[in-house]
Parts: sequence; C-alpha cells; structure tokens
Amino acid sequence: MIRYIKREIFRGFKKHETRVHPLNYLFWECTSRCNLNCLHCGSDCTKDSSYDDMPLADFLSALDTIPHTSERITVVLTGGEPLLRSDIEQCGMEIRKRGMHWSMVSNGYLYDEQKHIALLNAGMGALTFSLDGLEENHNWLRNAKNSFSKADRAIDLAVKSPRLNFDVVTCVNQRNLTELPAIYDYLIQKGVKAWRLFTIVPIGRARHNPDLFLADQQLKEVMDFIKTRRKLSLIDVKFSCEGFVGTYENQVRNGFFFCRAGINIGSILIDGSISACPNIDRSFAQGDIYHDNFFDTWQSKFKPFRDRGWTKTGQCKKCSDYNDCLGNGMHYWHGEKENVLVCHNEKIKCASKN
Amino acid sequence: MKRNWLRAILGGLSFGTMLFVFEACYGTPQDNAGFDVLVQGKVKSKATGQAIKGIKVSAVYSPQFQYTDDQGKFSFYVYTGGTFALKFQDTDSIQNGTYQSKDTTLYNARDTVFVDVALENN
Repeated sequence: MIRYIKREIFRGFKKHETRVHPLNYLFWECTSRCNLNCLHCGSDCTKDSSYDDMPLADFLSALDTIPHTSERITVVLTGGEPLLRSDIEQCGMEIRKRGMHWSMVSNGYLYDEQKHIALLNAGMGALTFSLDGLEENHNWLRNAKNSFSKADRAIDLAVKSPRLNFDVVTCVNQRNLTELPAIYDYLIQKGVKAWRLFTIVPIGRARHNPDLFLADQQLKEVMDFIKTRRKLSLIDVKFSCEGFVGTYENQVRNGFFFCRAGINIGSILIDGSISACPNIDRSFAQGDIYHDNFFDTWQSKFKPFRDRGWTKTGQCKKCSDYNDCLGNGMHYWHGEKENVLVCHNEKIKCASKN
Repeated sequence: MKRNWLRAILGGLSFGTMLFVFEACYGTPQDNAGFDVLVQGKVKSKATGQAIKGIKVSAVYSPQFQYTDDQGKFSFYVYTGGTFALKFQDTDSIQNGTYQSKDTTLYNARDTVFVDVALENN
C-alpha cells in the first residue's frame, strides 16, 4: 500500500518536474579525443577525432546565457577523455567562478597526484572513474594493458579527498558478470563509497560485439546482486538510471526510474549541438550554440524529451508499465525510432518466467 | 518560488531530497558538498614590496597547494567549513631570494577571500 502511494506521488513529481524542467545538470562534451580505444565505446571515440576540442570561450558564451537562479547546476565535463585537454583546470575554474559546480567523467588513465591537486584547486566537486573489472577484464574492455593499474591509482587519490563526491562505474558484460562480487570486495577495500552498474548499449563500437551484452537471465542476476548488496549498506551500490527495471524498481536504486534527459539534464556537444545526455541519438539535437541562445533553447524547445508520447510505439505501444517507464531511457531510441533498442523490463520478465 | 515549494513537497512525500540529487547515465554524482572558498592573493617581500614568484601556498590539512606566479599571485579553491589555514613557504632555495615561512588562519570565509601576504627575508 505504501509502495503504491509512493509510486503515485512519484508520478506526480515526474509530471511536475517535466513541466518546470529546471536545468540542474549540464554535460559538456569538451573533447571527442580519447587516449583509449575501449571495446564498448558508444561514441566511437579515437585518439584522432574529426572534431577539434571546443574552445572554452565558446562554451562559456553558452553558459553565460543561463540566468543566476537558486537552482544548483553541476556542469559535467565529459568526452572523449576530458584529461586530454591541456586547459582542463582553466575550464573548471571558469565554470566554478560563475557559481556553478563542476565534475568530470574519466577513465583515470592520466589522473595522477599532480592532476588531482590541480583539479581540486580549480574547484572540482565530483568525479567518476570507470572500472570494468579486475585487472584482466578491465584491461580487455579498455583495450589497454596498463589501464587497470592507472585506474587503481586514480581511485586511491579520489577516495582520499573529502571534497569529492566520487563514484566508480562498471559496465557489466559477459566477462565480468561473475566477477562482480570480487569487484565489490575490491572497491570496499579501497574505501570507495559509491558504485554504479551499467549495461552496455548496442551503439557505437559496441554494437559489433555481442559478448558485451547480457542475456535476460544475466540481467536478472545483476539485479539480484545489487538488491542483496544494497541491504548490507557497505557501499552505495546501485543500478544506473539507464532503464525501467519492473519489479526491481525502488530496490536497486534510490527511488523509481526517471529518465531526466531534457527535463533536468542538458548538454552541449562537441560540435556545439544542444541536447541532453551525450549518448542520446544526435538527431534529437534541439539547436546549436553557434546559432541559438542556449538557455532560450533549453526553455522553449526539448519537446521530444518533455512529451514522450511518441515512444508509445513498437513494443511500448501496449505495455502495461508504460506510464512508469515512458519508453525507457532516451538513449535507447536510435535510427528510425520505431522501437526501443532494449527493454530491461521485458528481459527481466522473460528471465523470471524461465 | 511556488514551483520550488511544490517540488520540495512532492519530492519529500515520495522519497526525500534524493529526488533532487541524481546522476545522469554516464555522468557523475552531483557536487553536493560545495563548501569551498576561492582563495586569491599576492605574496610580496616585506623588505622591498616586490612580488615573489615560486612561493608554495598550501592549504593546511589538505594535499592542495599552488606556487605563486611571476606577479606573486595565487588563486585556488579550498574545501572548508569556514575556517582554514594557509601556509606560505619558500621551497625553491635561493631562487627568487630566501624568505621565512608564514601561516595564516582565515575565519568565517565564504565564497571568495583575498589574502595578501608579506614575507620577511631570511
């Protein structure tokens, strides 16, 4: 009964949040260069990008269209690998001086003590590193033999900083699925406080490698793993916000599923496009900072993000959970958008039947 | 304002403040702490009034530090509840002269503080 009431209130909250759409979270795809060549990269990033890094001044011009409000905004520097930018500290400092908070997603390869201190000096407040397994499996997915030791060093630095809201993310795949308990122990021993698990989206380089994707039963195993470990409260382990997980809702995350792309989350992509999460199909771009006022675009456009009715097609058309799911995460709609790429809910239901 | 109240009530009734504290897919957690202060300043010689380059300015009880630039200036964020200490040290031997170290404690600091320091010669 309480769960039912909470769900109903949450539906109201989602509707209200969608109507008001306060911008709380802004991705900046500041480079598309990357020093790794990960097997699962959804961006097809390489060492040599076809795009130059976006000049800081261009980004700041867009940022300066956002009026000063009481809303707390975190700017998330992403890529590619943000640490390849030689001016990364200056980028952070300029964002922070504007009263916004900033953070960074990194593979940790270039994160040493000197960089750690320089980024803290620039006001960095949150940080995420990727760790996709223990040594063998991490190095395999990251396609670089030293990447685990580099990530390990980076994690050691991050956990020591009380300033940082820090977490580790892991892309679960066929190889590291059975290793999750060992990764869990490793992270606890390292002093990591928060751990997010993802599945891999069949886009970019990943779509050519079926070993990266979980079968229905394996996804359910991940849910059960998270659910049981959350009860122990030794680390804040959770499933990412990537999709609606049916009967596991509110048990594998803090709350129910809510894809906030275009509602609370915006982005400025490498070519200046204005959109939401960077892994969302680029055809959803709502404008670009070189021709449009960023904040006006945020306020007045984004209809496909704020009215998800168009997702009621394909297998979503007759789904009884549609009102809670609204077509899963926006990044699961690509190409002609005739059907959702992955339905976690259906996979879990299938696994439960067998 | 009305919208924020409605948000808070709906959020509080369902799950509490965590509804406003989220991380996007492939993003980071939000920066929730945010008790940081921008410390800016200049280090000069007490004897000559000239700016000193290469002085190590450290936040005590933190790994953070920065060296002063050609104009004796430094600028960095310090994580603090309001009171913190800075240490000024000449660590480059006889380069740029030799100076005594100095500690400064700042109380009730918020947002941005300016600290100009004059160091005595050794």
